[in-house]
Amino acid sequence: MNFWEAITGSDLTRDFKAFEVRAAALPADHRAAWEQVKGGLFLYGDFTGRNLMPILDGVLGLLEETAADGQSIDEVLGDDIAGFCAALAGGSGARNFRDRWREQLNRNVARKLSRLGG
Amino acid sequence: MDDLTEMLKGTLEGCVLEIIGSEETYGYAITRRLNELGFADVVEGTVYTILLRLEKKGLVQVMKRPSEQGPPRKFYALNDAGRGELATFWAKWEYITSRIDKLKEGGR
Repeated sequence: MNFWEAITGSDLTRDFKAFEVRAAALPADHRAAWEQVKGGLFLYGDFTGRNLMPILDGVLGLLEETAADGQSIDEVLGDDIAGFCAALAGGSGARNFRDRWREQLNRNVARKLSRLGG
Repeated sequence: MDDLTEMLKGTLEGCVLEIIGSEETYGYAITRRLNELGFADVVEGTVYTILLRLEKKGLVQVMKRPSEQGPPRKFYALNDAGRGELATFWAKWEYITSRIDKLKEGGR
């Protein structure tokens, strides 16, 4: 990522277009799962969502491989897509909105306490 | 058997290590193996996230090989760290099962 990409996010747009081209080649039920996974992973994105790109790339790879094998989406992801996303993001160490809120809260409480304790 | 998921959670990683340890293999084959063993609820997505974790922890060696159709497949083999982790897993497993068996038999 160079400076221009960091500022404009143009690399993200480009990657995303490439993802969607690959996703469009998937069978319908795999494509539907892709949409769901994207939605599910969004929670774990950082400010720009850049941390999600390698994860999304991996998921797309899994979907492509399994589609080529002719597996049904049920055999691939089961019925717990939210759990799948959580496991994915957790495994990749992605920090999410909630982590940042928690940190902010902790900082504020610590500041208030130190002021009280003087 | 239904609803094994919660109980399986902590051990599935060890199971996958064992399967990879016996021969170099790929995600789909691992899932099938677990299904044959009777873990019907395990889907490929579950195995996929475990494999990611193993890869991140540096316990497996990954090779990409072209497949007859579709994109190249990722094959997994254990490295030395993986073999160590597998031995630890079985040691822990022995410990837990021996304790639980004791509990079941009412011994101390």
